[in-house]
Order: sequence, then C-alpha cells, then structure tokens
Amino acid sequence: MEPDTSRSGGFLAAGAIRRAPFLVFIFLLSILPAISVFGGVRRFTFLYEANTSARGSLELENWVTWQRATGSDRFDQVDFRHELEYGVTDKFQVSIYLADWFYESDPEHSGFVYSDSAIELIYNLTNPVVDPIGLSIYGELRAGDRLIELESKLIAQKNFGPLILAYNATLEAVWEGSDLAEREGEFSQALGASYELSPRISVGIELLHEFVFPEWRDEEAIRNLFVGPNVSYRHRNWFVTVTALAQATDTDSEPDFQVRTIFGVGL
Amino acid sequence: MRTLAIFAIAGVCLVDLSSCGTTSFAPPPVTPELARTGKGKHGGIAMLREGRALFVHRCIECHTLPAVSSHSAQQWPRLIDEMAGRASLKPAEREAVLAYILAVRTQ
Repeated sequence: MEPDTSRSGGFLAAGAIRRAPFLVFIFLLSILPAISVFGGVRRFTFLYEANTSARGSLELENWVTWQRATGSDRFDQVDFRHELEYGVTDKFQVSIYLADWFYESDPEHSGFVYSDSAIELIYNLTNPVVDPIGLSIYGELRAGDRLIELESKLIAQKNFGPLILAYNATLEAVWEGSDLAEREGEFSQALGASYELSPRISVGIELLHEFVFPEWRDEEAIRNLFVGPNVSYRHRNWFVTVTALAQATDTDSEPDFQVRTIFGVGL
Repeated sequence: MRTLAIFAIAGVCLVDLSSCGTTSFAPPPVTPELARTGKGKHGGIAMLREGRALFVHRCIECHTLPAVSSHSAQQWPRLIDEMAGRASLKPAEREAVLAYILAVRTQ
C-alpha cells in the first residue's frame, strides 16, 4: 500500500538492506520464462482497483512519490518502491514489496533510508462490470528494522462504460521506533474517478482522507485531506500513471503536495 | 465533518449509479437462447459462460470493456489474437472469449 509517509523509518546504510528481498527477487527471476504476461494497468496511484491480476501474470511496478512540505516542518522526501505482483488465480494476487526506501532532505539532515519490505494479498469477491459493485479485500504486512505495519482494506469499484469509480477504506496499525514502542493507528478513505479517453489514455481525480491516531488516541484530532488529478497511459506490456495531490487541510507535519508515479511492466 | 459528508454522498451516488448502470454496460449473460444462436456454431453453454467470465475479467485489466458491437465479426478474431498475450489467454480461453463475443453479435 502507501509508502511510509511518517518519515520515521530506520536509518540504515545501503549495505544493511536485508538479503531476503533480493533472494526472493532472484527466485522470481529464475521462474520468469514460465510466467511471462502482463498483470494489469493501474488508473490510480493512491487507490487500488477491485479487479485482480490474471492467473499466471507477473508484473514489476516501480513507485516514486515526491512529497514537499513548506510550513514549519519543512521537508522534501522522495519515496521509492519496487513491487512484484503475481496472479495466483484470477481472483487472488500476491505482491512482494522488495524494498521501500526513501531520500529525505530537511534542515537537520538528508540521506537515503531503507524503510521496509512487505507482502500484500488481494482477493477479489465480485466483478466491477457485471456485479452491482466490484469488491476486493486486501491484507498487507510490512516489516523493517524499526517498523511493523498491518494494514487491511476494502476495495470497491464500479465501471460505467469508460468511467471507473473506486473507493478504498483502509485501517492501519503501526509499531515503530528502535524498540517498536511507538504505536499509531490510521483510518483512511480514498475516492477516485477515472475516464478512459482512449484505450491508451485515462484521466481522473483522486481524493484521500486520513484520520491519524497517535498511540491509538484521538486527542490531537489529526485529519488530512488531499485531492488532485491523475493521468494514465498504457501501451503494449507497460503503463505509467501519475497523480498530483495537494493538501486541502492545514497539517504542518504532512506534505503540502505530493506527486506519485507508478511505472508497471509485464515480465 | 463536511469531508465525511462528501464521502457519504459520493458513496450513495456510487451505489445508485451502480444499480442503474449494471444493465447498461454489462455484456449480456449467457442463456440457453444465446447458446442456441447460430445453431451452436459458437460453442456450448459452458464454453460461452467461460468466455463471458474471461471477457469481463481479463479485458478490464488494461482498458474498459468495449461494446461487443463496436467491432465487426471479422475484426474480433484479429483483435483477440493481438491481446491474448497481454490478457494471459491460453488458446482454449481465447476460443471461449471469441465464441461468446460472436454469439452475442449474432443474437
């Protein structure tokens, strides 16, 4: 799901990145000749769509998210994610986040940081074209040197000809810090609309609404709202989707705007 | 609170739209009548059902679902051949999708 935007992942040297993700990567490369088709296009970058990848398909997705805050907590951060997505059946897909890492720059320090790796499972319940509403359930476990996160999500989608509407409701539980003593909960909901101008190009809008609960309390009443446009282009076995979101609330510690690009290619 | 209201209204609209839209954009279901179309030359009912299931699942991976009438019966085989790889369609699955589309077109 979302790369960590809390800016609190563990600082590690590049060489300390865990071996496990790379072993998985090598294993997946070794079975590439047997599975060589496209997983599916994403029309949104801050939302998931209900349909899952075709059985046997494998896709590499690279995410880049640039966030900028200009208030008292001024910072720039660029998040990276490298994800392999595999269709186990037509209704069940597994993704492995080989690495989530980021570069940050603020008045106190700057540098590259490895955050975590993760596994993500999505099960499709109903189809967004033929059923009244397309639904999928989502589960994710992220683990890093100083981060453990559990996330569950309900994904809803409906296709009306060239128009796609999607809604995600997400609940996250995060443990972080050197001894994982800091706890945080978050509920977020996201709404998106995408219109297909041609089989290759879609344009749309995304809206993200977050409720943050530090230590699972709501004393600070942290609410963040982001909204902005997106555009998606696909050709042959690859696609690229870009979303630019601006913060509509006034939370200093959150970015004023963020731009996310996902580039996917069928392997 | 206002944001919650926006989401609630959007959710209601989504449900409302979905109930109206289902019949407008979904390809027709497979019925015994459809299976009899063309005197069975487009495959049996099981094959047509598989073809429809694949059509509504695999094609929307890359683009929204085209109307079956948007291409001629002569154009469809070539189009499906072109996209079979991206849609991960095996030869039998490709035949099932084509059988369903041609049966609907013939109806």
